[in-house]
Order: sequence, then structure tokens, then C-alpha cells
Amino acid sequence: MADRVTTAVELVAFAVAKAGSADAEWEDGTGYDPGDPRTGRPARLVVADGATEAYDAAHWVGQLVDAFLAPDGRAPALDPAGLDAWFGRQQQVWAGAPRAFATVFEEHKFLESGSFATFLGCEVHGLGGPEPRWVAAALGDTVLFHVRDGRVLAQVPDLAAEDFGVTPDGVSTQPGQRARMRGALRTRDGALRVGDCLLLATDALAEWVVRAVRDGDARWRELTSVDHPQVFRDLVDRLRAAGDVRNDDVTLLRAHVTPTEAGVLVICR
Amino acid sequence: MNPSYSQAPVFSRQTPGCIVLLVDRSDSMGMPWAGSEGLTLAQGAARAINKLLFQLCVKSTKEAGKPLRPYFYVGVYGYGLCPRTGLEGVESALPGALAQRAIVPLPELADSPIDVRSDPSADALPRRSRMPVWYEPAHGFRTPMCAAMALAGAHVAEWARAFPRSLPPIVANITDGLVTDSPYQGVDLAGWAARLRSVRTDLGHTVLLNAFLSADPAPITAFPAHVRDLPEPAPELFAISSELPEQMVRNARAEHIDLEPGARGFVFNADLAMLVRFLEIGTRYEVRDG
Repeated sequence: MADRVTTAVELVAFAVAKAGSADAEWEDGTGYDPGDPRTGRPARLVVADGATEAYDAAHWVGQLVDAFLAPDGRAPALDPAGLDAWFGRQQQVWAGAPRAFATVFEEHKFLESGSFATFLGCEVHGLGGPEPRWVAAALGDTVLFHVRDGRVLAQVPDLAAEDFGVTPDGVSTQPGQRARMRGALRTRDGALRVGDCLLLATDALAEWVVRAVRDGDARWRELTSVDHPQVFRDLVDRLRAAGDVRNDDVTLLRAHVTPTEAGVLVICR
Repeated sequence: MNPSYSQAPVFSRQTPGCIVLLVDRSDSMGMPWAGSEGLTLAQGAARAINKLLFQLCVKSTKEAGKPLRPYFYVGVYGYGLCPRTGLEGVESALPGALAQRAIVPLPELADSPIDVRSDPSADALPRRSRMPVWYEPAHGFRTPMCAAMALAGAHVAEWARAFPRSLPPIVANITDGLVTDSPYQGVDLAGWAARLRSVRTDLGHTVLLNAFLSADPAPITAFPAHVRDLPEPAPELFAISSELPEQMVRNARAEHIDLEPGARGFVFNADLAMLVRFLEIGTRYEVRDG
């Protein structure tokens, strides 16, 4: 009888701030919960991207990432109803946090437009067993690519290269935006095998991947194997210098399905 | 290098924008502005200017507790009555010592309001209770618009030399009357406007917008491509106005304003609400660092 295949995910995250900005001004966010195969708790992956003109986007992104990974029941069910309720709870937390505004401009921005971030959440179920599955929910232009044998099997949300750079959807702090958010939410799932890769990328990098796949430019596959933050930074620098990637914060979270014990998350910046 | 991604023009800390306002302070600006809550033209223009400056400050606010980011440089010039001297002429209308520098980083202006007041805005934002005031209305004397274009042009040219990689400056002229100092130093209004528009950065020529205010209710013509049927001074102001750049065309269409090809940055017989929209459409670019 053949040995039963057991699976795990090996995770790594890379981030590069916009050229011309300090690393501390990186307004994306990412994180991972390895889950617990013994109890069936799925692994969780999340990437969010704060909108450039939003108020205090780094804190909104941080709140979304932390809450998505929270082990205390604050994490959402990854279905439209569960996420809608979770977005509502996050808006309440944001609105209820004590604040002291340094200027009238801050107060106005907080009240009138608030903050905004794209959101991509993913669960990997069935780790430890032979047939893990991913399920993802996306709001905005942060994108998940499911890669097998150098090909993109699935993408969520299903954006074309021309769809990037326009006003993206995202998670707003404004309760009045809930209906729009419900309408824009995209979900998808898929089966995983050993050797598969999930790439979660913020918009600048995702746009390049979509275009590279469309045009047969194989360089995007470097993202499935890059293993050092300096190598990733050099790649982003080259792509920016060549005009292939816009100058924006860049974040990549990669989950590699392996037959071995899972690694731990390292965020490399 | 032509980027392969779509790239809208942006203001950033490295490539800030320059927004200059020229404001008619002639005697006729003291007339009541029909449909504008009992305000005079001068008071309404002041409200629109303060609102625009406030919006730019909000746009430049990113992180809680941190200073505004210097995405914009601004200048405000009044022509007609000069309150500092009590004479006719042109002077910077920035508050306090900032007036000596003419075009200043927005964060410095944000820190220097004349006052902070409860002031209803033109679009009646329901929750705002405090509004900084940087510009006060004034009116008197005639309309030395040529001298205003000349002075602003000199400062804009100096700014453009310092920021050659930025988007070109945007100059918005707000007036209710006919120019009274043309020719000025031997050059007429069209000539001074052409000199102003000739100032350029690597990304293009200075954009000159003109808003003509009407004290009486009258049909508004916004962003026309011709002025065949409009009375004076519409033809002259239309002629000196820039054709709308692509971003402003997008802004106007987002406001459901129909534009013909060749539409120019000109509004005739603007009321207060239209003046506010006009200034927003003419200055709304994304801010993005990098």
C-alpha cells in the first residue's frame, strides 16, 4: 500500500516600499496563521493594500490583517455573508477607537472619507491530508494566483491588465459603503497538490504578472522561487527601472504546498 | 522608457504640484452674488478659495498625528485693491510673512490660517464645524489683470525651474470684470497670458483657467469649446484659457459635464457652486509618492 501523502505549506512574504519612501511608510499589510491540522483549523493568509489617499491607511490595513488572523473568533467565515458581517464589525471597531486629531484636516478626513484598503483573504483547508483546498475572497486589486507547473490555474479576482490603475474596490471604513462592498466581493476556490504555489500580490506586482502571463513573458515565474529579500528587492528594482512595474508598495505572500513539515512565516523587507 | 502599465499623472513629494489663484479684488466684486446666500462676489470667491485650500490640506493629510505631506505648492494673488498698501495693484494674498514668498509649500500655509471659524461650506458638508480661513475678501479700484498675470508668471517660472519633473503649474483666474490695464508694459492681456502659459515643466505647459463670475442670475457656460454666442468678456477670457488637459477632461466628465473636443478651462457666468466645482475639476489629481 502506498504511503499516505501528507501536506503542509511553506510560507514566505516579501515587501518593498515605494521608491522614494521610507520603509516605515509601507502601507500594505500581510500575515499568516498556520492553522492546526489536528483540529481542522485551516491555514489563513491575508494581504491588504492601503489606498494612497486614504486616512491613516497603515492602521486600517493593520486592523484588517490582525482581525483576519485573530485566534479568538474575530476571524470571518470566508463567504459573502460572513465577510459582510466581519466588514461591519471592523468598521465599528475603527469608528469606536479613541482618537485625538492633531489637525482639523485629520478630523475632516476621518469623518468624511475615512480609510480604505484592498483585501485578499485565503484559507487552506485539509492540510495534513492528501487533498488540501484553498478558498479565497477578494475585494479590490490585490490578487491571488494559483500556480501549478509554471502555469496559472486560477486567479482571483479575475482582472485583466487594463483593470489595474483604475479606482479599485476595497474595504472602506464608511458604513455607507457596505452595499458596494457586497457587490464587489469576489470568491473562488480550488484543489491543491504538492508542488503547487499560491501567490498573493498587491496591485503593482499583480498587474505585471497578469500582463506577463498574457504576453508569454516567463519572468513572472521567478516569483515562485525567489528566496531572499534582497533578490526580491533587486527584481522589483529591475522591473521598476524597465517601466514594467509602477512605483508603488509591493507585497508578495507565497504559500508553497510541500510534503514536509511546514515552515514558518518570515516577512522579508 | 515607455512604461507598460497605465500611468496617470500624479502629484508626489518628489514632484509636487503648483496651484496659483489670481483673484479679482476690483470694486465690482463688492456686488451681491445672486443665489449665494447673501454673499458678495468677493465673499463667495473667498469661500471657494478657502474651501479649495482646505481640500488640498485634507488631501495632503496621510497619517494620524503626522505633518501634512508637501504634495502642493500654492500661491494666491489679489489684483485691484491691495489691502496691505490700500492702493491699486497686485500683491500676494497669502497670510502674514508667507506673502513675502509668493508660492509656498502647502504645509506651511496649513499652519498659518488667519482664523478658524464655523463656516458653512458651499456644498454644505453636514459635520464640519471648523474651517480654517487663509484668504479674506477685499474689493476696490479697477481690474489690473495684466499686472497680475505678469507677477504670477514670474513666480510660476521660478517654481517650474525648481521642479522640472513635476506636472506643469495650474493657474486659476477668478474675475467679474473687464481688464483695465491692457496693454501693460506694452503687452496686452493675451500676450501676458501667453507668456504665463509658455512656462513649462518637462511634462507640459502651464494650464491657465479662467472663471468669470456673474452677479446676476445668468445661464452658465462651463468648459466650452467655442464662445460664438457669448458676450464680452467671454471671447477674450476664452481665448486666453488653456485647452483642458486629459486629467481635467476626466474630472469634468466624472462630474457629468458634457465636453466637446477642444474644451477649454473657462466658465462664464459662474455662480458659487459652479466656481467651487470649476476649481475642483481644475486641480484634482491623484497624490502618490514615489
